[in-house]
Amino acid sequence: MSELVITDLRAEVAGKEVLKGISLTMKSGEVHAIMGPNGSGKSTLAHVLSAHPGYKVLGGTVTLDGVNLLELGASERARAGLMLAMQQPVEVPGVRPIDLLVAAGASGDAVENMRHEAERVGLRGDLLERFVNVDLSGGEKKRAEMVQLAVLKPKFAILDEIDSGLDVDALHAVGERLSAATREWNCGLLAITHFRRLLDVLAPDVIHVMSAGKIVASGGPELAEILERDGYEPFKV
Amino acid sequence: MTNFSNSATVRMNGDPTRLEAWDHFVQVGLPSTKDEVWRYAPLHDFSLDQFASFEPLTNNAISARAAELLSGPSVHIVDGVVKSSNLPAGVTITSSTTPTTLDRSPVVERYAADTFALLAIALAPETLTLRIAPQTRLSQSIALVHETTAGVNFSLTQIVVGEGSYASFVEYFDGAPDALVVPLSEYSVAENASLEVITCQRLAHSAWHIARSTGYLERAASLQQSIIGLGAHYNRSRNDAHLLGAGAVNELRTTFLGSGTQVHDFRTRQYHVAGRTDSRLLSKGAVAGDSRCVYTGLIEIEKGAKRTDARQTNHNLLLSSTAHADSVPNLDIRENDVMCAHASTVGPLDELQRWYLESRGVPPREAERLLIEGFFTEMLVGAPAEIISGVSEDVTRVLSEELVG
Repeated sequence: MSELVITDLRAEVAGKEVLKGISLTMKSGEVHAIMGPNGSGKSTLAHVLSAHPGYKVLGGTVTLDGVNLLELGASERARAGLMLAMQQPVEVPGVRPIDLLVAAGASGDAVENMRHEAERVGLRGDLLERFVNVDLSGGEKKRAEMVQLAVLKPKFAILDEIDSGLDVDALHAVGERLSAATREWNCGLLAITHFRRLLDVLAPDVIHVMSAGKIVASGGPELAEILERDGYEPFKV
Repeated sequence: MTNFSNSATVRMNGDPTRLEAWDHFVQVGLPSTKDEVWRYAPLHDFSLDQFASFEPLTNNAISARAAELLSGPSVHIVDGVVKSSNLPAGVTITSSTTPTTLDRSPVVERYAADTFALLAIALAPETLTLRIAPQTRLSQSIALVHETTAGVNFSLTQIVVGEGSYASFVEYFDGAPDALVVPLSEYSVAENASLEVITCQRLAHSAWHIARSTGYLERAASLQQSIIGLGAHYNRSRNDAHLLGAGAVNELRTTFLGSGTQVHDFRTRQYHVAGRTDSRLLSKGAVAGDSRCVYTGLIEIEKGAKRTDARQTNHNLLLSSTAHADSVPNLDIRENDVMCAHASTVGPLDELQRWYLESRGVPPREAERLLIEGFFTEMLVGAPAEIISGVSEDVTRVLSEELVG
């Protein structure tokens, strides 16, 4: 059983404090969702956790099984078991998916695993021959992120608005694969989203509401229904 | 220059064309860094007497990579002399001890202002000519493997592609520690013919490499040329194309990787004489350590070469704060109805791409290696495995030598 613990995390971007003390604990196999209005700091949280350049941590800790991730570089954090699936995956011309996976430490038969996972999320095999995220549609990029995630099997995955711009079929494929991950290797999911439809597939254990850089409410699935009915206004600080 | 002159006299053996070239060389003299086109060359530590050994210093300089390339259709050229050849039907090889050119003007006149071309004319042991018969389509690429066993390697190579034919060549140079390597090449591509040439230079970092090539393209001819410069202390590569017939197309890709104190000096001239001719030039290279690269490209369009389309693109990757990259595009246009474009970028590895790879668990040094190799990928399309693996080996070596970033 692994545990991801975020304690009083504060961070700034371009000199402006965007995260103002986030605390959150999640265990293997759990699904947590973070919802909140635009500009509340959701994506900043995802980026800070994955050491995206341009963000500065002002205070707090993030530990994965006791290891302080904030002292590690992006690569070491991923190797420790934390992986980000992105809203807009970066295009990397000249680098093939298989080379990325092998360099990232994929175990076993990486080629076979990659092909198998592509099939599971409905990503055409020939797209695996293209360079990472180059010449892929928005939906294909998200499916490709799922292939990476499923081959690399992180302990915890942060999903940064992975549902944005997805059609119904793609959303279903991505959601199903993520749900299966929680069962197959007890992957913990931290899903940042604006939309309930992803949550319908993922069935989160806990929903957090973020506003102005803080978690202002946490609760069970019923919170999503309240948000759907009343919007974020009652939660604004 | 006494020692060099003595060796040269023996080599020229009284041949009038060679002597004429030598006389011109003596008049022109060695270039200096005061000459604009030589300003980046480390000429302060250059003396021809360093290279006075015209006789073999070693008997066996062939590398495993060169040997592999020689296992298929190939020509093995040692110090400018054909040692063996294995050629498919439709290709003939001849060699002449009197220097010749594929240009219409006499050879010395043709290169009268070029010091090192004159030296090659005077001192290359023979002119090697490969002819592809008309209407011949070669299915396999032919390797021209240059081995250097002496202190100098002057070579004259001509490829003549007959009407309607298609041929592809891979030229490979490696080894040659402390040597001066001066290949002078000419390619003639007849009507509706097509030629592809990949030239990979992976010489020792103590060698000097000063190369020049010219393509002569007739009507609807196509020359696709790819130059890969990895080795040499000073690597100069001048590549010209004369688009003489309407509809001729020249694609030139030049790429290089610099480390230590290497200088990669690329010069190009796309000379559009006929109308509706296209030239596409893509130069992409990376420099690390204290190395430097220069790209100077001239697009020249003659009056009457209407609807010419000429484009140059140049991307340089800086892998250290002390590496330098210069890009100097030039246009000389004497016709109005043309299309010309130039694009140029220079900078370090993309920070976001690097982060993305790392965020998957790729270690930082490995991410850099993937990105640099990726940067070269489009430049290596069609290159044989031996050459791609050489580039990959050099990228890994440069990364282990340098603290990138």
